[in-house]
Amino acid sequence: MGEVEILSREIKPEDAASPVDQLVKLTVRDLEKLPPPYDKPGMEPELTDPKPEWREKYATDLDGYIAIDLPWKPQNKEEEERLVKSFLSGLNKLLTKEGNWTFLQPLLLSLEYCAKCQTCSNACPIYIMSGKQEVYKPTWRAEILRRIWKKYCTPAGKIFGKFVAGDIELNAKTLLRLAESAYRCTLCRRCTQTCPIGVDNGLISHEIRKLFSQEMGIAPKALHELGTVQHLKVGSSTGLTPDGVRDIIEFIEDDIEDKIGKRIKIPVDEKGADILLIHNAGEFLSWPENPAAFAILFEEAGLSWTLSSEQVAYDAVNYGVWYDDLQLARVAAKHAEIANKLEVNKIVVGECGHAHKAITVVADRVLHDDIWIPRESCMPILWEIVKKEKINFDPEKNNFPVTLHDPCNMVRLMGVVEPQRKILRKLAPQFREMEPHGVYNYCCGGGSGFAIMTSMNFPEWRNAVATRMKFKQVLEAFKDCLDPSINKYICAPCSNCKGAIRDMLSYYKAPERLSIYYGGLVELMVNAMVDLEEPFIEWEFH
Amino acid sequence: MLSALMALSYAAFAIFVIVVASKWIKWSSMPMHLRWELYPVPHEAGRHHYGGSYIEEVDYWKKPRETTLAGELKDMFSEMLFIKRVYQYKRPLWWLTYPFHAGIYLILAWFFLLFVHGILSVYISIPALATIVYYLIQICGTIGIIAATLGCIGLIIRRFSDRDMGNYTVGVEIFNLFFILVVLLTGIATWITYDPHFQHAMEFMKALVAFNAAYLPKLTTIAKVHVVLLCLLWIYIPFTKMSHFIGKYFTFHKVLWDDELNVPGSKVEAKVRELTKLPMPWSAPHVDTGKSWDENALESPKDEWGRWRY
Ligand code: SF4
Ligand code: SF4
Repeated sequence: MGEVEILSREIKPEDAASPVDQLVKLTVRDLEKLPPPYDKPGMEPELTDPKPEWREKYATDLDGYIAIDLPWKPQNKEEEERLVKSFLSGLNKLLTKEGNWTFLQPLLLSLEYCAKCQTCSNACPIYIMSGKQEVYKPTWRAEILRRIWKKYCTPAGKIFGKFVAGDIELNAKTLLRLAESAYRCTLCRRCTQTCPIGVDNGLISHEIRKLFSQEMGIAPKALHELGTVQHLKVGSSTGLTPDGVRDIIEFIEDDIEDKIGKRIKIPVDEKGADILLIHNAGEFLSWPENPAAFAILFEEAGLSWTLSSEQVAYDAVNYGVWYDDLQLARVAAKHAEIANKLEVNKIVVGECGHAHKAITVVADRVLHDDIWIPRESCMPILWEIVKKEKINFDPEKNNFPVTLHDPCNMVRLMGVVEPQRKILRKLAPQFREMEPHGVYNYCCGGGSGFAIMTSMNFPEWRNAVATRMKFKQVLEAFKDCLDPSINKYICAPCSNCKGAIRDMLSYYKAPERLSIYYGGLVELMVNAMVDLEEPFIEWEFH
Repeated sequence: MLSALMALSYAAFAIFVIVVASKWIKWSSMPMHLRWELYPVPHEAGRHHYGGSYIEEVDYWKKPRETTLAGELKDMFSEMLFIKRVYQYKRPLWWLTYPFHAGIYLILAWFFLLFVHGILSVYISIPALATIVYYLIQICGTIGIIAATLGCIGLIIRRFSDRDMGNYTVGVEIFNLFFILVVLLTGIATWITYDPHFQHAMEFMKALVAFNAAYLPKLTTIAKVHVVLLCLLWIYIPFTKMSHFIGKYFTFHKVLWDDELNVPGSKVEAKVRELTKLPMPWSAPHVDTGKSWDENALESPKDEWGRWRY
């Protein structure tokens, strides 16, 4: 394969159709600078090119990175025509009540009323930290979809053409780039907060993803084939089976005994409990100390609760919320059905942001009649444990610098903001906020599935660009104690955020260089328990 | 000709109202969507200042909701009247867009005052009020047209000079700005050359209010051109996204602030029940095309679900 052709001028929305191989090529020097000590050269890895053979079948046409790890690039004119036809058929369905009652009104409002004022651009952490690459601007992908919609789906566009729709050509390149660009947005909706009209560019990314998935089954494997499909078929998107989860729970019981010198029987499939607690199954595999901490707290506080070992219900994730409304509905319905079978009073979601939002908020209008059950966040319950002094805590045990990462799904997208901070203000004497925080926080960079999308070269893009703002915030939050002799803790009460933060810290070698570690909220709570002789937090990077 | 201008004025107003109303109906009759609220939601009593929601409570679905209309109105008016978000997040643009929008609001107030003045001169005589209205007309008209014109010129220059905005602007959007500018400039020309105290404007409105062409002033050519263009603009606006005042109501009230809960027996549940009966038209391998959303959602997983095709 010859030299790769990159567009060497300012990029506009219509350039989505450009015949060049790649619209942009990123280098570390283009990216926004990081604060000390990362302001010096050599502190972060150089960015790499995609493997030449990937270019043939995978969509490297946007920026060289591949989020959709399927060989879906048309190989001839016929395939290109089929792709365009399928896309237009999907677009028309996206505009109907049958196909998209779920988001029709918000989508059409956002397509119709954007004033192109660009007030939203500077709110986007990806656009800013990429050094303002045009293809990551919140309006870039939205404008491409808007122009296609105007041109092909509205009477004004059909009559007046370019004058109304703007310049846009619909070919394979346009679609490969449009689909990939929908996976350069974490759906954090920070841009939406700043829009004077209430236009939602995050939603437009979501709808583009949906169109490709619901019409063609095209989505990153981690979200679809190995995500929701595996979740529904095997029981968890991690591949964990019911037997597997029961084994891990036993292992966790042993581990708790080792740590606190007391055996706790973790309730599993207990009919009639008050709470069905559902964790992100990633916790069982990567951070078993998190479900362990929940078990300690819930038992010590005397709550009536259970876990489930039935397929789907031991994994709180619902990747459908990021790319496919049907898959969202399938997973949510299964969660509700199993909870009802267990005759619990409510589902409580553990430390997983998107699972919080998916089942509590977004799926609220999917569940009905027999498939309905109250759902809530674990945060208010945890705060009640502290507030009502159901357990004795000694904050001095947490006397090290702690900052809080707000999962977007919990704060901006469902308004659960204060309970977790109230806990930290009580139990972490050196707690300091990141700036900005709460509902104005920045995404960890792992949002909308990025944290679990680990194939091909996507993790490099995530670490270098998507998590960059979070890393900047972390460095700033700890700027008074960067000395590696001081252990520092990023409290991230969300499995996906933890995944992204783990990879981010490792990419920037922050544990060894600066002793920055991360973990959940419940681990900090247990660490502060008076009854525990040994610290629960082990300051090991994993 | 003059009564033709009156007819055009009535028609422009009627078309404006009818098209705005039909758009309103179109947006409000769209199906209920999934929840997609965005915090801070201003009607959350006691929590709005930090962006909290009722979900911060244990067993929130059992508890009465505490909402505040005042919070919503405050947010709404600060956005409508001051364009708060542009002020906060893109100040240089605010210096142009604010005079433009504030100028338009003042011109709308000017129309309303002319109407009140017309009523006072035709139907009810309250001289003291008429005098106050007369002076308000002078103030609103003068400041309004100057601010809107300067803002409009500024916005056009910015569209061309700021590539961030220019690259995204399509032909019709430029046309819209120029259309408004031409109407404003003909308005200014009429004001300066023919009607410095809006006397003739008052007479024109009096004729409209009285449905009587006898009250009409003698209009100069530029004044006639201005009235015709202004009427055409009134007719045109609701068909375009310049009617974003409608969209804005729905984006905020019906999407970003819509946090209505679905509980058993609620209206929301009844709607969900109906909507999930709709047949799914989608074609991906994991969809059973034609079966309802509910049937699809409750199906057992199949092997082909993980595949893709086009
Ligand atoms: S989405 Fe909103 S803020 Fe962004 S360009 Fe459009 S109108 Fe302006
Ligand atoms: S939703 Fe977030 S990531 Fe996506 S464009 Fe908006 S600010 Fe950027």
